[in-house]
Amino acid sequence: MAYPYVSDREVRVLSEHFGDPEARTLEGARKRGRYVALKKALGMGPDEVTEVVKASGLRGRGGAGFPTGLKWSFMPKEPTKPHYLCCNADESEPGTFKDRELLRWDPHLVIEGCLIASHAIRATHCYIYCRGEFFEASSVLARAVEDAYEAGLAGKDILGSGVDIDVTVHVGAGAYICGEETGLMNSLEGGRGQPRVKPPFPAAVGAFGMPTTVNNVETLAAVPGILSNGPDWYRQWGTDKSAGTKLFCVSGHVRKPGNYELPLGFPLMDLIDDVCGGVRDGNALKAVIPGGSSVPILSAEECGACTLCYEGVVAAGSMLGCASVIVMDETTDMVKQVRRMAAFYAHESCGQCTPCREGSAWVTKILKRIEDGRGTEEDLDTLLEVTTQMTGTTICVLSDSVAAPVHSSIQKFRDEYLALIRRGERVGAA
Amino acid sequence: MADNGRHETTVTLSIDGQEVTVPKGTTLLQASQALGGTVPHYCYHPGLTSPAMCRLCLVEVEGAPKLMPSCVTQAQNGQVVHTESEAALSMRRGVLEFYLVNHPLDCPICDQSGECKLQDYVHDEGRRHGRSREPKRVFGRDDFGGDVLFYGDRCVMCTRCVRFMNEVEQDPRLTVVERGSRSIIDTFFEEGLEGTHFSGNIVDICPVGALVSKDFLYKQRAWDLKHTPSVCPGCSQGCNIDLHVRDNLVQRLKPRTNLDVNGHWMCDYGRLGYEWMNRRDRVEAPVVRVDGKHRAMGWKEALRALLDRLAEIGGAAVRTVASAGASMEDLGALEALATHLGGGPGVFRSRVAPDEVPLKGFPRLVRRQDLAPNRKGAELLGLQRTGGDDGQGGLEDVADHDGIILVLGDELGDQEESFGSAAKLFVYLGAHPSRAASGADFVLPVTLFTEQEGTFTNHEGRVQRFWPGVDPPGAARPAWLILGALLAELTQGDTPARAEASFRLLAERHEAFDGLTYDDIGASGAPVKQPAELA
Amino acid sequence: MSAEIPFKNPGWAGNTGEFDLTEEQVRGADFVGRRPLEGGHPAGASSYPYMLEEKAPEAALFEGPHLERFEKILTRYPDKRAALLPALNLAQEVRGHVSPDSMRRVAELLDLPEAYVRGVATFYTMYNKRPVGRYLVQVCTNISCNLCGADEVLDAFLRYTDTELGETSDDGLFTVIEAECLAACGFPTCVQINSRYFENIAPEDVPSVLERLRAEAEGAA
Repeated sequence: MAYPYVSDREVRVLSEHFGDPEARTLEGARKRGRYVALKKALGMGPDEVTEVVKASGLRGRGGAGFPTGLKWSFMPKEPTKPHYLCCNADESEPGTFKDRELLRWDPHLVIEGCLIASHAIRATHCYIYCRGEFFEASSVLARAVEDAYEAGLAGKDILGSGVDIDVTVHVGAGAYICGEETGLMNSLEGGRGQPRVKPPFPAAVGAFGMPTTVNNVETLAAVPGILSNGPDWYRQWGTDKSAGTKLFCVSGHVRKPGNYELPLGFPLMDLIDDVCGGVRDGNALKAVIPGGSSVPILSAEECGACTLCYEGVVAAGSMLGCASVIVMDETTDMVKQVRRMAAFYAHESCGQCTPCREGSAWVTKILKRIEDGRGTEEDLDTLLEVTTQMTGTTICVLSDSVAAPVHSSIQKFRDEYLALIRRGERVGAA
Repeated sequence: MADNGRHETTVTLSIDGQEVTVPKGTTLLQASQALGGTVPHYCYHPGLTSPAMCRLCLVEVEGAPKLMPSCVTQAQNGQVVHTESEAALSMRRGVLEFYLVNHPLDCPICDQSGECKLQDYVHDEGRRHGRSREPKRVFGRDDFGGDVLFYGDRCVMCTRCVRFMNEVEQDPRLTVVERGSRSIIDTFFEEGLEGTHFSGNIVDICPVGALVSKDFLYKQRAWDLKHTPSVCPGCSQGCNIDLHVRDNLVQRLKPRTNLDVNGHWMCDYGRLGYEWMNRRDRVEAPVVRVDGKHRAMGWKEALRALLDRLAEIGGAAVRTVASAGASMEDLGALEALATHLGGGPGVFRSRVAPDEVPLKGFPRLVRRQDLAPNRKGAELLGLQRTGGDDGQGGLEDVADHDGIILVLGDELGDQEESFGSAAKLFVYLGAHPSRAASGADFVLPVTLFTEQEGTFTNHEGRVQRFWPGVDPPGAARPAWLILGALLAELTQGDTPARAEASFRLLAERHEAFDGLTYDDIGASGAPVKQPAELA
Repeated sequence: MSAEIPFKNPGWAGNTGEFDLTEEQVRGADFVGRRPLEGGHPAGASSYPYMLEEKAPEAALFEGPHLERFEKILTRYPDKRAALLPALNLAQEVRGHVSPDSMRRVAELLDLPEAYVRGVATFYTMYNKRPVGRYLVQVCTNISCNLCGADEVLDAFLRYTDTELGETSDDGLFTVIEAECLAACGFPTCVQINSRYFENIAPEDVPSVLERLRAEAEGAA
């Protein structure tokens, strides 16, 4: 039962037990098949497990879409020092709310995925880094981890396999940038969550200076199914380049917002019109952000051709990111929303790199001025150039994320900016 | 891999069309600097770790998808790097514009003006006009304690100061607070920098006028200052410094890089201990006691009178009081003259601190217990230290000596006016007048180390040169010249015309310095010979 | 939001859409029922729900069950410094905000420089630099909620608590601030009050939410 709405077009692999309160108990989880894949994986060698995941085509679900099996294969095969797995539960990308659901409805799925992944990369300790606001989700998760320990599913000699893997729930304190893998590691180590320069890469020097892999919650949640059923089973869904299912977080101006698990490659308009019941109030569609606020905005015209897989969204002019579909109807004040997104980045910038630290705040101020009717056409050129200066020039890509909404909105909704500039009054708002 | 007979320990690459071979591990920035290039940068500093966060040093590397931070990108074989290509220049122009978004452009009232890296870079490569019309963030002025003031508005967040305190002084007093564009440098609330010993260095390394010295605040304009290489006289570490002089006054001291002695640093005690160099109470003319009265006269007349007096006395036991702050040349000439006149014990007094203060992140640099620059040099010339750790006492033997007393550079501040009243001849060579020398037969004005060329020998036997940055007052002359001239007269020899000649004379007389020349010493020093008994 | 979708009581997204679940079913017995401070496995020690009703700015830190919990947390990391965020979380849980004295105490506990602890504490949004009201009302105004009227919800909270943004109400009960995306975008507008999410809040729901909180505060008095 997905949550809060169900569509018969869904393929509920990860979200099967959303809305089912029993699934989070150990007994309930076991009844629902949890920890069978773990036992199987522990009977395999670590590299064998990695090969299975590689063959499945699973790609990172946190936004970058990096092939998971390949990422695991970067870890040293003969550990001379402790390896760590970090499960990235610092879900903070605007529009994204899938990891919270996974953690609170099916924590044992996540834990099982973490354990299997830890085994594959020869990690002795897995840190599940939950964002600080997730009091509820981390509390559920903590209980599940405790139950797992009690049942010998975590800790020493798991299920008698001789493999030792510890799991710790680590809670953050409110910073979007801690969702960046190196920012997460710095925060885990007890520091400011500022991203690190790469190289060195986490697989060489990661948390506490040790080889580390960071994976998203949804990525790890997909692992048990792949181990149990084999890579071909996972590949039955999706496309050649984008295998499997994905939790799509739909929000904004739709009738039925929520998480929907669909095979990758699903047409965007089907998602909005069929699965989500269409745009609210019968309004016309104006724009869609297909992958969270860091990706370019698609105009309504561009949505028709867009299929929701990594390559399909790129072909439509944006990126899949974490598949957070934000739907905007005709009543949307585009400039206001872009300003709000820029303000988010300015607020969350860690402040290390000059282009991001100064540029994100500057861009926000210009947009606010335009929104307030005191902008000029020159400001639009400045916005485009400044955000271009912020792209590809920093340690992490938060800076690049500011450019996406600004560029795409000026390109596709220029008339809204111009109306504000010319008439000093608001258009587009209901 | 290409095989041109190259060592595996080096790499060869091309920077701006020029080929260069560097040791493996060298960064692109360092390689570019080796070729004389100047890639702008803020957060990088050779004495600190590199966070690669200012994004000013990005260069174009052919084949790389993005511009690379040259301060951390290691040079690879066959790389083709462009630091001045259109892409690199436009990137720098962009980053510089970002700095100007919030920078207050205080140049007219900012101490850093004239030695400011933001001025320099923007002038060279920045946009003519920053496009930001938005209100700037304001932090105001914060007293960090010690000698340091912080103007937060001007800060470019390079975090060099934070890293210096963490890594080099290893007293982590500074941190970045807040996040994003609200981030700024601060201390732990009111705690500040009190109790630190090297925090003055953060003023040096701050590329802009965010961190300034209270001592130097509003004092001088950087472009009016003349820089002269010298050696710090504060203790026996011998940190290499520059005198910054204007209007014939030392305005401030700055460290000069010497990786074998002080790295890029100096301590606060030495840095701020320059006021005495500007003392106005100077002996300006030779003074001779004639018929019980002191008469000023010219050098020729004074030296003639002194030679006459020496001839009158014939030989006599000599007691010498020297100073551990006098140069090798001065002390060498003094020792040579004293020996010629009849010989006798030579002593010096100096202050000794109860403890030493190491710079933990650069352990070679220690504020030594010996609070004088040339104690080792004096001892190598056979002088003995006397008196207490406060630099007083120990002259009982000399005060009522009845032979010849020579005093050089010791102000005799703790001695009675009757000092030397029993002597046949009491010569006081000093820069400052002394009450206890009111009974001296000859008061001869000498230069301070800032006013002459010379050398000091530091605690570990390193001889280091210093140069004159200030014109001496009145008729003051270097002691080595005065004493050298006297000795020349007495022995029918040649007066050393330059400090180098005086040094050569001392090297001939003292084994530890045998063979050492000014050329050997250069601007970064050279060690004395260390026979076992001298070590 | 559209009247087509019935939701009866804002507070949790349990009875949204096609579901009718109690809060305990949605949030778990531990969170709703308040886990005890003592006991528990070290693996979950950083994540106990922070449900202390009374914050005492001058309370002693790291004593009793809090010290026990902290020591459990310490065992999970190879380096003491990694326990810094959990320690600051605990200090704020007890005192309501992270004061200079709290930073000093945490620095002492973990053998860290005080300035460093200040640098870390000020980096994260959730550490309150100064005391806040009994209920910290954090209204998400980020894009998904913004599209569904978050600004109006924020205004309603400010109006009904009679406060300015970021200020504490005269009765000391409420501080209202804006929050960034809380990861409940399917249930707009999401408001986090202390440790609890209130989802699907519309401006007309605000008075009843505040009523409930006022009654709770009064009951505890």
